[in-house]
Amino acid sequence: MLETALQFILNGIVTGCFYALVAVGLTLVFGMMGVVNFAQGEFFVLGGMLAYVATVQLGLPFYAAIPAVLAIMWVVGMVVDYVLLRPMRDAHMLSTAMVTIGLSIFLLNTMLLVFGAEPKNILSGFSSKPIFMGGLLITQSRLFTIVISVVAIIAVHLLIAKTRVGRAMRAVFQQKEAAALVGIPIDRIYRFTFALGTTLAALSGILLGSVFVASLSTAELTTVKAFVVVILGGMGSFAGAIVGGLLLGLVESLWGGFVSTGYMDVIGFALVIVLLLFRPRGLFGMAEARER
Amino acid sequence: MNRLETRGVLLFLALAALAPLVITDQFFIHVMVMVFFYAILASSLNLTVGFVGELSLGHAAFLGIGAYASAILSTEYGLPALACIPVAGLLAALAGLVIGLITLHLEGHFFVLITLAFAEVLRLIVNNWIEVTRGPLGFSSIPPPRLSIGGHVLMDFSSRVQFYYLALAVLAVTIGVVLLYAQSAFRVGAVAVRENRRLAKAVGIDPFRQALLTFVIGAFLAGMAGSFYAHYITFVGPEVFGFSFMVTMLMMVALGGKGTVLGPLLGALLIGVALEYLRFINEIRLSVFGILLILVTMYLPQGAIGLLAWRRMRKAGIVKVSAVTR
Repeated sequence: MLETALQFILNGIVTGCFYALVAVGLTLVFGMMGVVNFAQGEFFVLGGMLAYVATVQLGLPFYAAIPAVLAIMWVVGMVVDYVLLRPMRDAHMLSTAMVTIGLSIFLLNTMLLVFGAEPKNILSGFSSKPIFMGGLLITQSRLFTIVISVVAIIAVHLLIAKTRVGRAMRAVFQQKEAAALVGIPIDRIYRFTFALGTTLAALSGILLGSVFVASLSTAELTTVKAFVVVILGGMGSFAGAIVGGLLLGLVESLWGGFVSTGYMDVIGFALVIVLLLFRPRGLFGMAEARER
Repeated sequence: MNRLETRGVLLFLALAALAPLVITDQFFIHVMVMVFFYAILASSLNLTVGFVGELSLGHAAFLGIGAYASAILSTEYGLPALACIPVAGLLAALAGLVIGLITLHLEGHFFVLITLAFAEVLRLIVNNWIEVTRGPLGFSSIPPPRLSIGGHVLMDFSSRVQFYYLALAVLAVTIGVVLLYAQSAFRVGAVAVRENRRLAKAVGIDPFRQALLTFVIGAFLAGMAGSFYAHYITFVGPEVFGFSFMVTMLMMVALGGKGTVLGPLLGALLIGVALEYLRFINEIRLSVFGILLILVTMYLPQGAIGLLAWRRMRKAGIVKVSAVTR
């Protein structure tokens, strides 16, 4: 019983890593730019699809495919920001949301045309032989996922906390007018942030694709779940997104393991709805709720 | 609400009422039935999106509740279809009341996401609660409506034209409700809240009550649309809760012009016709939709109706930009 529970917890941590990476990207873009990116799930899937193209169709080794795909996705993020979001900087939040909804519809259906609906395997080169740790079992690719996710999250944390760009990002987050006054090129900071968010989503998509399969049908649910995580953790909160992501992964895994797999996907939404009933400002109280 | 718009709405209804007398092509009739269905949906979504100014991504939930209510009531309990339509509307309104009470306290992004979450939860429940909803199989052979007086059958809805007029009747009711809303003091309150929340509160308007009532009316209308859909298509599955209906209605409101009465009708006509006649490019259709939604939002924020109004104003020599910024 205890071992089963521990196994579910371990599985939950793996899923939680996927959620955390996608949600960190989403929450950074929201906190910094005030943009709700409805295309985050599509970036996530696009990452997986490109990794499939790189490893299966082009025959690149997995360790070379990852940086290549991330670089492409970084450029995709820059272009999307330049073409679609830059003209909408001063627009109402709803308008920007409509633009990202349009982008998500476009990306999803164009990917459907290009890649087809069937799920894709990514060749990671890991053997499927599980590793036993005490009574727990974990596959190589899952272990790799946890390691890469932790590395990525620490890297982003260091980027924000220690570097010049990170300091500029924090300044823009706090007060964009003041940041502009002291000479920070906020437009470029926005583009950098958006590209970072896009790349993190893609990384998550690659890792998920290497553990399971990359599938277009996951895009919409991923976006919505990432939102759930962001609300749980508090909008714009970096640590909140990670805690929220792991929390959602764990709760889903335990619920699916002990209660019912059918309603596994409902749990996150139920959690958020109940949370907002009692704490309209989110778990960590970061965001503003409507004044009554 | 200006006179141009009232005339436009009346013209739309009059042309729609007369069209089957001239054009008897069955496919055309079908396309127009779908246009009316979408027009009801778009008009109901527009109440919250256009007049209150909150983006609800959960509106498909009310369509779904209406469709399922009608499917269950007519196949399992034998309720006549024409009675199902208002009952489905009321059930959807009840759901709207519950969801609205929870979500409308939340502002902006939160509201957008939570309404989306509600629709997703309902879709997943419908998929899994097999005893009641039959899961992914859904309900098929839902009976058509039947209108009889004293055992004498007046209409048995065996032809499309009868559905056409039923859809038009529901649409007329919808437009009537929306017109009443748009001319009421209520709408003035809602717009005041949309434009300046604090100022509206300062003059004694309760934003929450305004938004809630609007939301519930929208849910009622969408529920009726769902019920009509169930009896017309005769099949209802979990996809009625899906995002594609949501996207289609949103496109129609955005393209036609949000916050107007005529706009959603125009949007439904343009997109509904395109949807049905462009079936041959089915595959790239949604990709084109995505681009269209982006372009309209960025370059034509007032929609098609904004274009009309702007041209009229220019003709009259009135150069006015500030009033149409939203």
